[in-house]
Amino acid sequence: MKPSVSYLAAIWTILRKDIQVEWRGRQGVPVMLVFALTIVFLFNFALQLSPDLQAGLAAGLLWVSLAFASTLGLNRGISLERENNALDGLLLAPMDRSAIFFGKALGNFCFTGLVGLVLLPVFSLFYPQNMLRLPLVLVMLLGLGAYTSLGTLLSALSIQARTRDVLLPVLLYPLALPILIAAVEASRGVLTGQSLGDVSSWIYLLLAGILLFNAGGLLFFETILEE
Amino acid sequence: MSTQTSTLLSQIEMRDLVKRFHHQPVLNHLSLRINDGDLCVLVGDNGAGKTTLLRILAGLVRPNHGIVTIGGADPISDPQVRRFIGYVGHQPMFYQDLTALENLVHYARLYQVEAVQHTVIQAIQSVGLTPYQDQPVRTLSRGMQQRLSLARAALHQPSILLLDEPYTGLDQDAAAFLDDTLQGLHTPGRTILLAAHRPQRLLTIASHVAWLKDGVIHRHLPVDRLGEDPELGRYLQEVG
Amino acid sequence: MNVAKKPSLLVILDILTVLFMSAVLVLTWFFTPVEAVMGPVQKVFYFHISAAWGGMLSFILGAIAGAGYLRSRRLGWDSLSLASIEVGLVFALIAILSGMIWARPIWNTWWVWDPRLTTTAIMALIYLAYFILRGGLSTPEARARLGAVYAILAVLTVPLTFFSIRLFRTIHPVVIATGGGQGSAFNMTPRMLTALFASLLAFTILLADLVWHRFRLAQLQNPLSEEEN
Repeated sequence: MKPSVSYLAAIWTILRKDIQVEWRGRQGVPVMLVFALTIVFLFNFALQLSPDLQAGLAAGLLWVSLAFASTLGLNRGISLERENNALDGLLLAPMDRSAIFFGKALGNFCFTGLVGLVLLPVFSLFYPQNMLRLPLVLVMLLGLGAYTSLGTLLSALSIQARTRDVLLPVLLYPLALPILIAAVEASRGVLTGQSLGDVSSWIYLLLAGILLFNAGGLLFFETILEE
Repeated sequence: MSTQTSTLLSQIEMRDLVKRFHHQPVLNHLSLRINDGDLCVLVGDNGAGKTTLLRILAGLVRPNHGIVTIGGADPISDPQVRRFIGYVGHQPMFYQDLTALENLVHYARLYQVEAVQHTVIQAIQSVGLTPYQDQPVRTLSRGMQQRLSLARAALHQPSILLLDEPYTGLDQDAAAFLDDTLQGLHTPGRTILLAAHRPQRLLTIASHVAWLKDGVIHRHLPVDRLGEDPELGRYLQEVG
Repeated sequence: MNVAKKPSLLVILDILTVLFMSAVLVLTWFFTPVEAVMGPVQKVFYFHISAAWGGMLSFILGAIAGAGYLRSRRLGWDSLSLASIEVGLVFALIAILSGMIWARPIWNTWWVWDPRLTTTAIMALIYLAYFILRGGLSTPEARARLGAVYAILAVLTVPLTFFSIRLFRTIHPVVIATGGGQGSAFNMTPRMLTALFASLLAFTILLADLVWHRFRLAQLQNPLSEEEN
């Protein structure tokens, strides 16, 4: 029992540290939020969206803005560890290094989740869609869970390249496509009044993504970070 | 401080280590044994592979070939062995937005140190940074960050300390302070391996000198027998 | 083994490749019937399917070789992984282009959002990113290690991508490509099937040949790979 308890404690320590840094610097969530809103405005005019936005478009707009904004947070999360080699400090710690993955992924999930939770009422304000519904919140959290797991994994890859943060979107978006399709479709479904059961195929796809990418983190994160 | 197992756990052994970068061997079948309680200064030119050697010992770099044992166990495959190692690298490994105290508390938790607050406050006091403990690390000078790094590395009472060029970028006062700190850290049963390309000031406190040259340990001598080796003597004179 | 000398087995494979590819050309030109509705352009189908098959096979091989590298840490595995993915990308691009050539006269558009074609296009993007990743890394070890992890992840997401696009299409059907997709849009005669299987076989041999050549090139560029331990 002891090792597993200390494993969870290590994850919690890393997550707690990320929350502390975010609280102190406020360089993640507010930046993502401003960027997400900018995208909403940009798309509103670029795609000539009508004020009585359909549910399908609203779901798409929500996920495009979340997906783009999350990239900033993911990059920020990993470059924080890169600065002053803080990552070495984590690698030195006496625990299986996959704990670093889970700690960072949870942090990214919390921050992007927070951005999403703020975006939902804002969307309800801009468009005649009540977005603050429990099923939609659930779908959003599942989608972000899968998306940020993959994103955390890939951010650790991209940070090692000379091109750094520029690389992450190129790696992330094509691989995340099935997750984004599933998230948009499930959101569209619940916005048009379907129940979670009606969109269960999409929910399963999101769960499969969460499972797959977290397994990837468990198996590969140490390999990604080693020299 | 030194438990019964620490004798075993403070012995470092490397056998036939090979590490290549870009197909070039940096370490080329290197072997070295550092006994329990030694304070060994690792000398060698810049780029000789001192940093690589220390990072392999710390479990941060995987060698292409060879065996590293810390008291009979491998720090890469067995995470728990890393508990017995303290490491100070070129970079301070701190989160710049957090205070000195918060940073050390974070590391204390990672090592699951008992009585976190108490241990951390003691550690900060031991390097004389108590007045600055609530300042963000970014406001501390290079010398202060270096001292804080030493406090961080020793926080979990490791039996082995690996220090990579701790004197780089320090002014005279900071370096003198570091001398004292180092001597304080060299407690019985603790092994210290310290890389320095200008080792002269350390020879008074060191017990051994190891010379890394052409990817292997060219010489490994106790300090009191340095006189027997004119080649190493000349080298130490040259680099100062 | 002396890498500089061309193995005789590879020479045999070269000859086999030429023979099989010529045979498939002859089969598609003279042996298979002209499809009644689509006309001669339908014959691109044999190459389209075979190229897509070859691409998928190469990507799987690339992931397996990547796993081989992570297990053994021998750069030879990375050369194999890189070779497979490079050839796979070329095959995927051929599949996309031939799909477009086919779509143009049949559906009067260069692009149909068919699940298979779209999945292939996304796969091509995924593997283009693989080369961008490798290009940004400075040591051969990092390229091998991170390339391997990415290649494995990429292959694992392909079923998710395919499934999500197909599910998407069943909910939002496109007006033109009804009845599933190209493969099942017409009934195949036994002769067509024969040509298809011959083509699949020929492309598999071509794939093996190209991967081997590309692998040797990577090995030759990498002088120390033979003594890596």
